[in-house]
Amino acid sequence: MTNLKKYRAAFAEGLEIDGAQAEGASVGTVAAWDSITQMSLIAALEETFEIEIEPEDIVALNSWENGIEILKKYGIEV
Amino acid sequence: MFLDIDKKPAAAIAAIDDSGERVTYGELAGAACYVSGLLPPRELVFCLCENRAGALAGYIALYQNKDVPLLLDAAADKELLRLLMELYGPSYLWLPERMAGEFPVEAVGSYKGFVLAKTPYNAPKMHDGLSFLLSTSGSTGTPKLVRHRYGNLEANARAVAGIFGWDARERGICHLPIQYTMGLNVINSHLYAGAAVLLTKSSLTSSAFWDFISEQKGTNFTGVPYSYEILFKLRFMKRELPYLRTLASGGGKLPEDRFAALAEYAAGTGRRFFSTFGTTETSARMAFLPPEMAMLKVGSIGRAIPGGELWLLDDSGSVIGNTEAEGELCCSGPNVTMGYANSRGDLSRGDELNGVYHTGDIARRDRDGCYYIIGRRQRFLKLFGHRVSLEQCEMLIGAEFASDCACIGSDPCAGSGERMKIFLTDQSIAEQVRAFLSEKTGLPRSVFSVSALDEIPRNQSGKIDYPELKELNT
Repeated sequence: MTNLKKYRAAFAEGLEIDGAQAEGASVGTVAAWDSITQMSLIAALEETFEIEIEPEDIVALNSWENGIEILKKYGIEV
Repeated sequence: MFLDIDKKPAAAIAAIDDSGERVTYGELAGAACYVSGLLPPRELVFCLCENRAGALAGYIALYQNKDVPLLLDAAADKELLRLLMELYGPSYLWLPERMAGEFPVEAVGSYKGFVLAKTPYNAPKMHDGLSFLLSTSGSTGTPKLVRHRYGNLEANARAVAGIFGWDARERGICHLPIQYTMGLNVINSHLYAGAAVLLTKSSLTSSAFWDFISEQKGTNFTGVPYSYEILFKLRFMKRELPYLRTLASGGGKLPEDRFAALAEYAAGTGRRFFSTFGTTETSARMAFLPPEMAMLKVGSIGRAIPGGELWLLDDSGSVIGNTEAEGELCCSGPNVTMGYANSRGDLSRGDELNGVYHTGDIARRDRDGCYYIIGRRQRFLKLFGHRVSLEQCEMLIGAEFASDCACIGSDPCAGSGERMKIFLTDQSIAEQVRAFLSEKTGLPRSVFSVSALDEIPRNQSGKIDYPELKELNT
């Protein structure tokens, strides 16, 4: 699976949305995006890419796009 | 006035929210005056809440005007809101301006982003002592309400402000929802003390939250176990939080290792950690553990709050005399509410608890008289701090799907709180059932797990054999 596919699957699983809705998703557009689903999203990303996301990145993660930027810090290109 | 709000300096800040809106004590008193010109006393008002200054001002003003507010989540399932409106027939709504068009109502006034609107209903007949209503669960689709009487919220606000030693310098962080008993108690206890409440809508996992409490110099934080799971994940103990002096837990049982870590953190950094316990039926809080005992009594909820009493009952319903004992936890005090309502007609009922509440929780009392919650008699779970009735979920599933079902709880552990396990006889609907419960409760699908069985085990009288299901689940 490509990193993009893995990233999309983690978004879909964490936020409990369809994979098709994952691209471009943000706190403002996904009603279910709250602290609970954000924690699931972080867990899904950590598991998928075998990384541990730092607190400052956890609180910064608020969209599909900035998630891609954040993962770059961990050496992951989506 | 309610919580002596009119005795506080008029210019002092009562609440600031994270949209930048604020309300002073003088403005709260003014809002009460304004609202009293808009509607008579003894109206039933549904307040659709979010953690905003306008929601807080509306609740205070309506309470002061002797109307009966029911605080609900503005983001609640629309079907649930409609059901509640049909069932109870509120005569007015207090709701965010942007939502006014969603209901057949006529706006009669507005204040800080909220409007007061008349519905087509007349006020129901309500008991003279009835002051206030809250739902027993913040989120499930149950219309069961707790009927508060005059004096409940006041007594608990006073007792809790005293326990914590709040004064006007305190700046309490309220991320718990206003319509959730523990969140409301954070608000009331601070207002009673003339302190400021920092109301936040942004989530604990957002930088907006952390920026807000840092800019606003939040001095204390009250969280449910899940709030603390997030704080641990964010390694908050390593954060610079120079203004934060007090941490408090409530709304469910912290895993022991979390409890111990919080107690140690507080002791090591000159802060205070309070373990507290309460329910909606007791106007939020009935017990607390003094912070200096937190390291010694890991997992304890401490003793009764001032003015209240705690005791244990054995299986036959008799009071247990021995100090060290286990039994059902009961409490009495001026914070004990009048009982429940399941429909409009119930609002005329009087006090059915008479100052005594049986919690349904099984507790242990140690030789120093400190209590520890160890289990439950009643079949409900605490999911993300919200009480979810297993029976209600079984009924909802039964009404929606053609499958026999049974729901049980899975025990909490560090890193993951309590979860619900659903047994079905039809595996093919597993995902639908998870989605359905998620929609009804407003909780993520991940807290619901499903297993299929050929049949649900029952005992001879046809009742579901829950101990057997627990076995199957381990």
